[in-house]
Amino acid sequence: MRYAKRIIAFLVFVCGLILLLLAASFLFMPKNNMKEFGMEEVSANGILGEKENTVDVLVVGDSESYSAVTPMQIWKEQGYTAYVCGSSGQTLDYSMTMIRRAFEKQKPKLVFLETDAIYRKVSKSGALLTKLGNYLSVFRYHNRWKSLSWNDLKGHAEFTWTDDYKGYEYNNAVAPCKNQDYMIPSGTAARIPELNRLYVQEIRNYCEENGAKLVFLSTPSPVNWNYERHNGIAALAGELSCDYIDLNLQNEQLQIDWSKDTRDKGDHLNHNGAVKATHYLADYLNQTNLLTDHRGDPEYEKWNEALKRYEAAVSSAGNGQ
Amino acid sequence: MPSISSYFSLAYLGLLLPLTIVVYAAAPQKIRRWALLIFSWLFFWSISGKLIVYLLFSILSVHHIGLWLSMLQEEGDRLLKAADRGERKALKAQCQRKQRMVMTFGACLHIGILLLLKYGPFFVLNINRVFRALGLHVNLTVPSFALPIGISFYTLQAVSYLFDVYRRKIPADKSMFRLALFMSFFPQIMEGPICRYEDTAGELWEAEPIRFQNLVFGAERILFGAMKELVLADRLNLLIQNVFTNYDTYDGFVIALSAVCYTLQLYMDFSGTMDIVIGSAQIFGVTLPENFRRPFFSRTISEFWKRWHITLGTWFKDYVFFPLSMSKPLKKLTSRARKRLGNHFGPLLSGSIALFAVWFCNGLWHGAGWHYIFFGMYHFCLILIGNMIEPLVLSVTGKLHISRSSLPYRCFQIVRTAVLVCIGELFFRATGLRAGFAMFRKIFTNFTLATFRDRTLFTFGMDQKDYLIVFIAVLLIFVVGLLQEKGIAIREKLAGKNLAVQFSAYYALVLFIVIFGAYGSGYVPVDPIYAGF
Repeated sequence: MRYAKRIIAFLVFVCGLILLLLAASFLFMPKNNMKEFGMEEVSANGILGEKENTVDVLVVGDSESYSAVTPMQIWKEQGYTAYVCGSSGQTLDYSMTMIRRAFEKQKPKLVFLETDAIYRKVSKSGALLTKLGNYLSVFRYHNRWKSLSWNDLKGHAEFTWTDDYKGYEYNNAVAPCKNQDYMIPSGTAARIPELNRLYVQEIRNYCEENGAKLVFLSTPSPVNWNYERHNGIAALAGELSCDYIDLNLQNEQLQIDWSKDTRDKGDHLNHNGAVKATHYLADYLNQTNLLTDHRGDPEYEKWNEALKRYEAAVSSAGNGQ
Repeated sequence: MPSISSYFSLAYLGLLLPLTIVVYAAAPQKIRRWALLIFSWLFFWSISGKLIVYLLFSILSVHHIGLWLSMLQEEGDRLLKAADRGERKALKAQCQRKQRMVMTFGACLHIGILLLLKYGPFFVLNINRVFRALGLHVNLTVPSFALPIGISFYTLQAVSYLFDVYRRKIPADKSMFRLALFMSFFPQIMEGPICRYEDTAGELWEAEPIRFQNLVFGAERILFGAMKELVLADRLNLLIQNVFTNYDTYDGFVIALSAVCYTLQLYMDFSGTMDIVIGSAQIFGVTLPENFRRPFFSRTISEFWKRWHITLGTWFKDYVFFPLSMSKPLKKLTSRARKRLGNHFGPLLSGSIALFAVWFCNGLWHGAGWHYIFFGMYHFCLILIGNMIEPLVLSVTGKLHISRSSLPYRCFQIVRTAVLVCIGELFFRATGLRAGFAMFRKIFTNFTLATFRDRTLFTFGMDQKDYLIVFIAVLLIFVVGLLQEKGIAIREKLAGKNLAVQFSAYYALVLFIVIFGAYGSGYVPVDPIYAGF
């Protein structure tokens, strides 16, 4: 009898705790996808404000992804809609979260996974916390206690904001890189941590289940990339039957000039570099025959409007330098 | 087994501990102790990998040397019994000499491994400096060793076991696995407390079933420890990292504030870890010794060290201070000094020599660096000065009719002690002795409230709201400490209340941690500070 009472008390306690955490999650969940509402990674989460089923290509990864791929250029050149859901220091557990979040309203046909994230160590505690945050958003947005308002008590979340840059981070600073011959052929492959491997597999399975093709993408970066890493990703791509594009080995076509096309000595591309890398990717997307040119489609008129604003902003920023 | 970075990690609190509890609870009594031992070794392997061989070697050697000592003691006893009265004295001395040699060998072996792994590079570096200063062109290669986490803790436990067997305080343990469990028990191997064989080995090996009350009390303590770490220690981390790394860009006020914040962080990190460690052990029915007894209620530095890292202090007292002060040369010195300097200063002189050794070791134990040694010497000087001027203080307060037990005087003593501790911690945390002095100097030469007035203070890693949360959490811990000082057992009181009150208290604490914890994006959790010592 005493044990039964204790078990019931424990269950009541756990149920009460879950209810409290759910209530707190409702309270702490940003009610819109803008910074003023407490949204994290605002640019990446701009996809939540995009019209339903309008995004063709998704890009996830760390800062390399949002520095090298500018979706507005893909739109301009080929008429495909792409969105970069990359974020600074993004680990694969968060890439998975971003993919799931994007797929709630979108049906992209192709997902680029920037490969620098595959070598970024995923901490088990961090991954667990990300998972917990997926179910109970109080764990992700708890820091919003500093900016909570009465409005957080009422109403549902409604995401209305979209980013004219579509997740891309414009930066045209120049800090030349001296090391230009960084892709020295090697027979060895850099080891991918086991947990990361599992996450890549999970991403691949998720994409497959949702009718999207997963492509590994290594954007140019003498600081972060080398032949050993290329070999590691090539082997993984072979195992998982995924396409792999390593832009570090395509410089004859890309013509990246490391004295002009990097903003931080070869760590990331600047806008000049991003334009070159994106042009290559736009051609690749065209060759896949998976996507349709939407430029003449009135449903996508907002993308044409966004392109005008994007070009004006880029042009004025470029002139300002 | 995932790698566990600290007792606050989800891998420990969410996986290893619950899994061990489930297996322990489900296993029959005879298996439980083995479950504890296997999980302890799994834990150590997950934090130190193949360096577990050092721990296994320590267990094997301590067990063997303990038995060797025991055999010598039995043999000595037998010979003494059979010997004539006239021969006994010489025989006894001979037997004791043998036993002392074995004990010394065992202690030197373990402390030698610790010295080599932890201090080898520091010693060689300084020898090279001496050579350079002497103009000699000799440059010894600085060795580099991988250090198993927890070696400073389990080594002291091993040495205390050998000493206690030698002193016949405890019999040598015939069961190697009981000794192994005592040395490797997972909740305490990374950061202590430094246990004594006679206090914990039996209880551990007994492997009592898990009792409901122990489970609840243990979980409560773990929750309280998690609050200290996640809400306070981790929140203070950004400010402390910023200021101590780039101290030259901050003024004296910010440096003084950071010294206070670091003292707070160290206390919250270490005592929070101890709450988790002692709470975890309590779940298994094991009572580990307390390491903290509200140190910031201390009125003197001596008292502070009786309340802060208690098990390290008692270890040094029992195995360094007493053996040294009871040694023949120091006894002789005491009696001579007593004649010349009187009853206060006479014993103080020889006691100070032993005290110096204790604080030198204490400083060095915390790490291989001159600022750690300085930290030890700083506290040695404070305690020594305190002892020396005690008669003077007594006479001055008496003449001025100041009651030493009055509240204002006690508050003055508490604040004075806290300030002295914060100064010590400034040197302790500084990146080196030179940086420590530069920071200390800045407090007096560059003290300005400009950063507070123009609010830039709130951009160094903590904003106003962060300071508010720190204040609330410190207040909560202060109130709990005050109640404990008055002898009120909070957990027992709470257990006597109805379920609604108990649940409300738990919910409040859990939500306080979940909402105000400094975790996730934008925060860098503090590394377990004492695990590095």
